[in-house]
Amino acid sequence: MKFPFPFKKNSEETPKKKKPKVRIKYSERLQNYMVMKLNVFAIVVLILFVVLTARLLKITSEKGEQYKKQVLSQQKYDSKIIPYQRGSILDRNGTLLAYSEQVYNIILDSSMFKSEKGQEELEPTLAALRDCFGLDIADVRNFIVNNPDSKYHILKKRVTQDVKDSYELLRDAEESQITRNGIWFESEFKRFYPNGSLAADVIGFTTRDGIGQYGLEEYYNDVLAGNNGREYGYLSGDNALERTIIPAENGYSIVSTIDAHIQQICEENLVAFNEAHRGEYREGEDGANNSAVIIMDVNTGEVLAMASYPFYNLNDPYDLSHIYTQEDLALMETEGTLMEARNEVWKNFCISQSYEPGSVSKTFTIAGGIDCGALHDGDEYYCPGYISLGEGTGVTIHCHNRYGEGALTTQSALEQSCNVSLVMMNNKIGKKRFLEYFKNFNFGLKTNIDLAGEMRTAGLVFNEDTMRYSELATASFGQGFNVTMIEEISAFCSVVNGGYYRQPHMVSKIVDEDGATVQNIDPVLLRQPISESTSELMRQYLIGVVENGTGKYARPAGYRIGGKTGTAEHSGEGKTDYVISFMGFAPANDPQIAIYVVIDRPNVASQDTATRYACLLCREILQDVLPYKHIFMTEVLTSEEQKRLQEGTAHGNAVAIPEVVPEETDTEESTDTSDVPVYELELNVIIDKNTGYAIDPSTGEYLDPDTGRPINGTSGIIQDENGNNVNVTPGGVPVDDNSPF
Amino acid sequence: MSFVDAIKSLGTKKNTAEGRKRTKLRRVGNSLDVSLILMTCLLLVFGLLMIYSASSYEANLDWGDSAYYFKKQAFAVILGLFAMVGIGLFMPSRLPERVLLPIMFVAFGLVMLLPVIGHASHGATRWIRLGPLSIQPAEIVKVAIIIFEATFLTKYMHTLHTWKGFLYSLIVPIVGLLFVRVFSNNLSSGLIIFLIGLGMVFIASYDYKKYALGVLGILIVAVIIYFALSKVEYSGDKKVDFRGERLIAWVNPEAQSDDLGYQTMQSLYAIGSGGLTGKGLGQSVQKMNFIPEAQNDMIFSIICEELGLVGAIIVFLMYIGLIGRMYLIARSTRDLYKSLLVVGVMMQITIQVLLNVAVVTNTIPNTGVSLPFISYGGSSVTILLAEIGLVLAVQRENAYEEDIRMRKRMEAEEAEEA
Repeated sequence: MKFPFPFKKNSEETPKKKKPKVRIKYSERLQNYMVMKLNVFAIVVLILFVVLTARLLKITSEKGEQYKKQVLSQQKYDSKIIPYQRGSILDRNGTLLAYSEQVYNIILDSSMFKSEKGQEELEPTLAALRDCFGLDIADVRNFIVNNPDSKYHILKKRVTQDVKDSYELLRDAEESQITRNGIWFESEFKRFYPNGSLAADVIGFTTRDGIGQYGLEEYYNDVLAGNNGREYGYLSGDNALERTIIPAENGYSIVSTIDAHIQQICEENLVAFNEAHRGEYREGEDGANNSAVIIMDVNTGEVLAMASYPFYNLNDPYDLSHIYTQEDLALMETEGTLMEARNEVWKNFCISQSYEPGSVSKTFTIAGGIDCGALHDGDEYYCPGYISLGEGTGVTIHCHNRYGEGALTTQSALEQSCNVSLVMMNNKIGKKRFLEYFKNFNFGLKTNIDLAGEMRTAGLVFNEDTMRYSELATASFGQGFNVTMIEEISAFCSVVNGGYYRQPHMVSKIVDEDGATVQNIDPVLLRQPISESTSELMRQYLIGVVENGTGKYARPAGYRIGGKTGTAEHSGEGKTDYVISFMGFAPANDPQIAIYVVIDRPNVASQDTATRYACLLCREILQDVLPYKHIFMTEVLTSEEQKRLQEGTAHGNAVAIPEVVPEETDTEESTDTSDVPVYELELNVIIDKNTGYAIDPSTGEYLDPDTGRPINGTSGIIQDENGNNVNVTPGGVPVDDNSPF
Repeated sequence: MSFVDAIKSLGTKKNTAEGRKRTKLRRVGNSLDVSLILMTCLLLVFGLLMIYSASSYEANLDWGDSAYYFKKQAFAVILGLFAMVGIGLFMPSRLPERVLLPIMFVAFGLVMLLPVIGHASHGATRWIRLGPLSIQPAEIVKVAIIIFEATFLTKYMHTLHTWKGFLYSLIVPIVGLLFVRVFSNNLSSGLIIFLIGLGMVFIASYDYKKYALGVLGILIVAVIIYFALSKVEYSGDKKVDFRGERLIAWVNPEAQSDDLGYQTMQSLYAIGSGGLTGKGLGQSVQKMNFIPEAQNDMIFSIICEELGLVGAIIVFLMYIGLIGRMYLIARSTRDLYKSLLVVGVMMQITIQVLLNVAVVTNTIPNTGVSLPFISYGGSSVTILLAEIGLVLAVQRENAYEEDIRMRKRMEAEEAEEA
């Protein structure tokens, strides 16, 4: 049979040619058998619907419970953590020292690029990633091709909000084909320290997981840290999955007592000092092993600045490249000492390192002695240059002037820092009272300053049992026991502020994220070690030290201050390592701030004569800090001081430490360090090569490094009316300022 | 009476008594089949609701707009409703027959052009983009097959009892299957095309034997495959092609619930966890990432999860109502061609519903069949509505012819009275 194409109108020819099996009369309407077939079809369809219903019934009844559990077990109950924002650290003026900012990790979900839509979105997305985040799109493309099922791949970490916003703007634009769920962001917080290394030792830093390390970050970790929020799923009573969000509780901010500007002044001067003396004596080392400054408010115990050199970058605390060369770092890495070096840098010298304080401690000996009535103003002492502690001990203590200071009063003993007189004084005071005052001044106890890592010095000071006669003698001038800087200056504040010992502290206020005060931290008055009147007297003595005595260099131009120098010997075998220091208060008539400068092992040829460096560092710092604190000049400026101030300004407040004379010079004519303002006194001296002492060329006498006066007399010291002029006998070798044994 | 005549006769002799009667009668005759429209709209509204429920989660993730799919579907539905009413009201049901050749050319031509101008998705090229719409040529082929078979079978129904005539009648559906399979790699649509043709041939032919034997044969083969494959231990590294995988997943979906049987198992989890009354509208959890593109072919499982067995049965009843209505229209139509048109549309809807539910319940191997009027898919729903429009046109003409018969009877009665 030839099959006719249906559109040709010859269809009439085809029907029933050869005896068809069935004979039906066809017409152009629905045949009866077709109705039957439709009925059959309808019945079959109904049956099939019943079958499918039965199938559904079977699934729900047989496997229903199992599948219900299956569905629930597939759900993700694991909670998502919503990170809290760590509180900020502000200085006393509200300057941000540390804050946390939300940053984002860019997460790639490769599996989203498998679909047709994903394929379309791939190129626009890659272009946006390149433009917004600077990603290498070839890498991203390779990753997607090689890991088509990867759901979580971090493309870039810690992108800032701005950058993320720029991407989202692009993505949400009209007609944008950038993927919505192939790229997503995971938020976390990053700690920023806008001032880099400023107050690094005070602030400390945080680990990546937000735990404070060192300083305020560690001490106030619990306050600064908040509680993470959570988003989690759980099953409700009727087995439905519910999602709940517990928002994060952000941490509180702390307002520090630090003044960023004063801090900066201190740090700049420390840097200048260290730069000036870098490699001067010991090759490749800083200006000193340690150098540190604390400035405190004498009346409240608030620390205004605390700095110890070297600093480190808080934003990248692990990087020591500014201190060590790459080779050194590589070497340390292989030797495994890198972490040690880091800890050394991170450590806050001001609170975590003890040392023998030396002569600055004479202040406390005399203050205690006067307060308990053992000493009186105007008591007279005679210094022959040494004192023997008696038959049994076999110890002789020398004054820094081996030939003796001669007759001294209580005040001038302090001014001239006479060891022998101090030993005599301690004999009067006695062990019991000395230790009582020692304890009242809080030595040997932690100050409990609110900083992490304060050193415990209880084992490094004397008690009734360990203090014998010789220890009592050496303790009078600050040798034989250890203190920390913060202990010293806190005690010093009580000496000058009327006798009130306040706990030093770094934080004045805790505020919440809206700025509302959560807690005010007020000064804590612990005790009154000495009376108002003693304090008054001590202020006079300390002013005398700067005016007439060893602390002369520490006076900033135009101001009267009080203070005490110290040159302490490092205990140990050799006696060539010294800690030089100056502790002072300003202004003289109404003490407001106290300053303590410590230079541990200055990098100079003879450390014991370098006390002036501490004084000068103090002077340079105070010269800037006092005007900033609205303390006005009261004294007439000499022409030299005017010149110095102008130059100092021109030099951008750099510490101009006058060089005495370079060591190699042994000619009569000293090298003129003309670009640095210097004292006249120092201009006309030469250095004795053997002793390292300066010699006045006009008289041939040795000069005291602290006072700049001739010191090598044997006939004692006779003061004139002004207390300035001294008559000395030539000859002899100068000895150390403090040589206890 | 042709459509043109019907249009011409509109509004004539209004003022005579006879004219008034005619107008009254015609108003009845010209009106559309309300129950069919109602059934369709019921399904459409339900479908839109379920699309929103099933897709809002993913739409929000993918497009930032939870109504994204809903809006697109609603647009297609409105477009389809216009097509349905327009066709139902104005198109003469004989028109498709006259333009059969162009329709066939367009349908098959578009399928052939797919590899060139088509748009790839899910590893197959099935769509052609036309502005905001994407059209699946396979859907047009379905319409073409319905029209072709209606035309062809009307002329050659008396040859169908011979093997030759039977096979001739299936040539075009088979070609359609092959075209769709080859050019768009879409076996499931091809199978539906073939089944529509076969179903229509079944209705038009006199005998049952070969159909019964065919069904029996398929069942036996299915059972053999089922038991053969249930012995096979599938290990991931074996080279099995796409369809082989689906067979393996069909036989033992739980064993491969992480891999081949993932979609099937997730669908079964949804059905099972829905229970008798479901979790409540919008409460599905399986739609959240577990059933990919839940608004598409797997939407029935979401219906079961949210509305339970009860909801599934209601959906069945809605389909049964729709199919039943078309069954009645097909039966009552006094023109074989028109009748077969209705049968064709009914076949398509029935086959798709049954296959879809069978896939979702893992009664047959997984293959992509959409649920008519409910599954997301713009071109599918628009073309289906146009097909319903065709049925409406047939029914309108039926009613009009009924009018004429009534008029004649009334005239005869009047003459008798006179």
